Amino acid sequence: MSEFTHLGSQLVNLCSVLLLLSCFAIVAQRRLSACVDLFALQSFFLATTAALVAFLTGHRHIYLAAALTVVIKVIVLPRILRKVIERLNVSRELVMNINIPAGLLICGGLVVVAFFITQPIIPLGYLLTRDSLAIALAIILIGFFTMIARKKAVTQMVGFLVMENGVFLGATAAAYGMPLIVELGVFFDVLVAGLIAGIYTHRLQDAFDSVDTSELTALKE
Amino acid sequence: MPTLLTVLLACYLLGGLLPLCTSRPHLQNILTHGAAAVAGLAGIVLGFVGLFAAQPLTLSVPSNIPLLTVALRLDPLAGFFVLTISLVGLAASIYAQGYVGEYAGRVSAGLLGALLNGFLLSMTLVVLADNGFFFLILWEVMSLLSYVLVVTDHERPGVREAGLFYLIMTHVGTAFIILTFVIFSQEAGSFSFEDFRHPDQRLPEGLRSIAFFTALIGFGAKAGIVPLHVWLPYAHPAAPSHISALMSGVMIKTAVYALIRVYFDFLEGVFPWWWGFTVLSVGAVSALLGVMYALMEHDLKSLLAFHSVENIGIILLGIGAGMIFHTYGLHELAALGLLAGLYHTINHATFKALLFLGAGAVQFATHTRDIEEYGGLLRRMPWTGLFFLIGAVSIAALPPTNGFVSEWLVFQSLFLSVQLPTLFLKLMLPIAAAILALTGALALACFAKAFGMSFLAQPRSAHARQAVEVPTSMRVGMGILAGSCVVLGLAPMLVVPLLDRVTGPLTGVAISEKVLALDGWVVAPVTVEFSSISTPVLAALLVGAGLLGLLIARWLGKGVRARYTRTWGCGLPLTPRMEYTATGFVQPIKQVFETVYQPTVKLEREFLEQSKYFLRHQRVEFHTEPLFETYLYRPVVKKLLALAERLRVIQVGSLHLYLTYIFVTLVLLLLWAG
Repeated sequence: MSEFTHLGSQLVNLCSVLLLLSCFAIVAQRRLSACVDLFALQSFFLATTAALVAFLTGHRHIYLAAALTVVIKVIVLPRILRKVIERLNVSRELVMNINIPAGLLICGGLVVVAFFITQPIIPLGYLLTRDSLAIALAIILIGFFTMIARKKAVTQMVGFLVMENGVFLGATAAAYGMPLIVELGVFFDVLVAGLIAGIYTHRLQDAFDSVDTSELTALKE
Repeated sequence: MPTLLTVLLACYLLGGLLPLCTSRPHLQNILTHGAAAVAGLAGIVLGFVGLFAAQPLTLSVPSNIPLLTVALRLDPLAGFFVLTISLVGLAASIYAQGYVGEYAGRVSAGLLGALLNGFLLSMTLVVLADNGFFFLILWEVMSLLSYVLVVTDHERPGVREAGLFYLIMTHVGTAFIILTFVIFSQEAGSFSFEDFRHPDQRLPEGLRSIAFFTALIGFGAKAGIVPLHVWLPYAHPAAPSHISALMSGVMIKTAVYALIRVYFDFLEGVFPWWWGFTVLSVGAVSALLGVMYALMEHDLKSLLAFHSVENIGIILLGIGAGMIFHTYGLHELAALGLLAGLYHTINHATFKALLFLGAGAVQFATHTRDIEEYGGLLRRMPWTGLFFLIGAVSIAALPPTNGFVSEWLVFQSLFLSVQLPTLFLKLMLPIAAAILALTGALALACFAKAFGMSFLAQPRSAHARQAVEVPTSMRVGMGILAGSCVVLGLAPMLVVPLLDRVTGPLTGVAISEKVLALDGWVVAPVTVEFSSISTPVLAALLVGAGLLGLLIARWLGKGVRARYTRTWGCGLPLTPRMEYTATGFVQPIKQVFETVYQPTVKLEREFLEQSKYFLRHQRVEFHTEPLFETYLYRPVVKKLLALAERLRVIQVGSLHLYLTYIFVTLVLLLLWAG
């Protein structure tokens, strides 16, 4: 392995680690607007990783994916989320299903699980990004965990988007990204999901005077 | 064939789409039902083409979906059913043009018409399908469309429940049908019917028997055999009447088609004697119980629906007898039994559809379905009365109608069991014949009630007093079917050779030459000496006797002046309260068959305070116990609900909990896989 690719691989790993760290920051954060900001930051790291991979491998289409990430996940979606928060007039999450210290511990456990699961697979890979696979899985699991641990619809949406980031990183790590057409479709889906969830949160507020999804149990007869 | 098929497909599709082009209900009505009628005509021609084709006509388009090929095959059997479906479809779509007026303002005529077109198309394609997957898709489309049509009137109480019941039962049936096809595909290696017919090697005996039962249950649920019939008396009457006519007249016949296809085509007609005996027993029980429950019904359409159970039983009696004979190599008798079953199939399709259309016409005029509220309709609706009478006489199997001919043929094939080698069957088949005889007698009583209470005497309600004759299109629709009933009854010499083309390939022998004696004027299954019948001669005799009586009366009464006056009522004025009621009419039968009906009578009396010999108020309630629902279905439903209640523990409706389920499953699976 040449000096250049070795350095590149190290850089990719560094970016991945930053992604993971931002996940932990989201889990530890009570304030909703800070969560959204952290998500934007995480997406920026993701875009950087994708751009790095594109530069190192020469796969042009990954540049496009990186650019789209910046536009949609760093700019558009956080703006939508901030608007929702503004309108709903909720700034922080006071009650959670699982409190922050316990949540951080569980997330640590999830990272271990992710590394444990991917350990037998990683040596089989030959791509310079292969180590990121474990981190990608960890991000997916943490995103999912955020959805369970938090009660407010907005943070649940952030959790969902974090999961999506994990999937994107995983795809980049395992296969240098999906075919362009698939990626475009995924971006579109995320955007639509964001819009729908924004509307849904609004309706929730109207119906229950709160964005707490635990209230949805009332829908059961 | 391709041209006709294209016309048929195009018309049904146009019938479904044209209503979208205009927003005027009247135009929608004409367009959609007109298209269905044209398609029906094309279907009749297509049916005849299929019957007369020397070789089965096939058409096949491969598709991208695995195992699925859009394959059609028109052989005489399929042709016969296409003919039946299209004939009833033609009458129903003409009838519908007037009948949808009943739904004006509530349900769009265009929507009803579009669904009708889709329903007819799916039924036609079901009998033409030549691929298991394609068949199942069409079967499902047919079931779902008929469900949607059943719940047209969903605001009326009970209709939604009836629809749900139907939906569940039909899907239980479909599950068994899928099982049947999966068994066949084991040896065939594909879902093509052609491979089902000629598998690489014959299925093992055990699997064949399982396939026999799964097919009987699966298709039997649609056909309405006892004890799978319970949904039928709820669902068929709930639909608009022209749809009831199609469901009772032809949709349940697609199950008969499929049973014949499976037993005689896929299983090559090789089976042990007890298969035929099972079909025969199921038929006998269905026939008897169907008619017995029909007798107790006072809702005209439910009564007709129970009669469908009875008539499916009669059809299965013929087919079952045919199967038994086939096992013992008596091919000519097998063909006779099958022919009798098929003859009754088309007969039942025509007269049952006619009766449902008639019931719809009566409902159209009186806005009620309770027989007790009818009476005296013959004077107010002479055409409907005439057509209903023709249908009633046919279903009661009185000579010389079509119902008589086919039931007589079923009788003959049952009596010919003397040629069977085993004593057991020699005894059992005549018993089946005896049950059929009882069924026939009860059916006659039932239709004496249905026609007499509805059309004769004086009106028993304001609804009936204000009834007027229905629009022309409805009368034309009924007229087509009434005409078909008469032709099918009076011209067996035309029908039997056609049916012979169907049974010939299935049993390997042609029998029309033998069955028809004296150029076809006489039907004689064995020899003219053993038994023979000639409906044209019978009809001529009946008419002749009537004319003779008239002549004699004229001749004897010469010089006597006729006096027209009111019916004598012992000096009292005649009122509707003096009439025999439907409940009273069947009371003796209820007493005789107490074990089956398990009737409960509730009598509430209130006396005057001064003396217990003077009633102030009296109230009587009659109930009969629906045996199968009480003792078979309700326990099962109860168990299911109890199980569901226990499963509810994990369904608390919390979003977070559901997410946790997914999460835990995901992590565990990952750990397990890693």
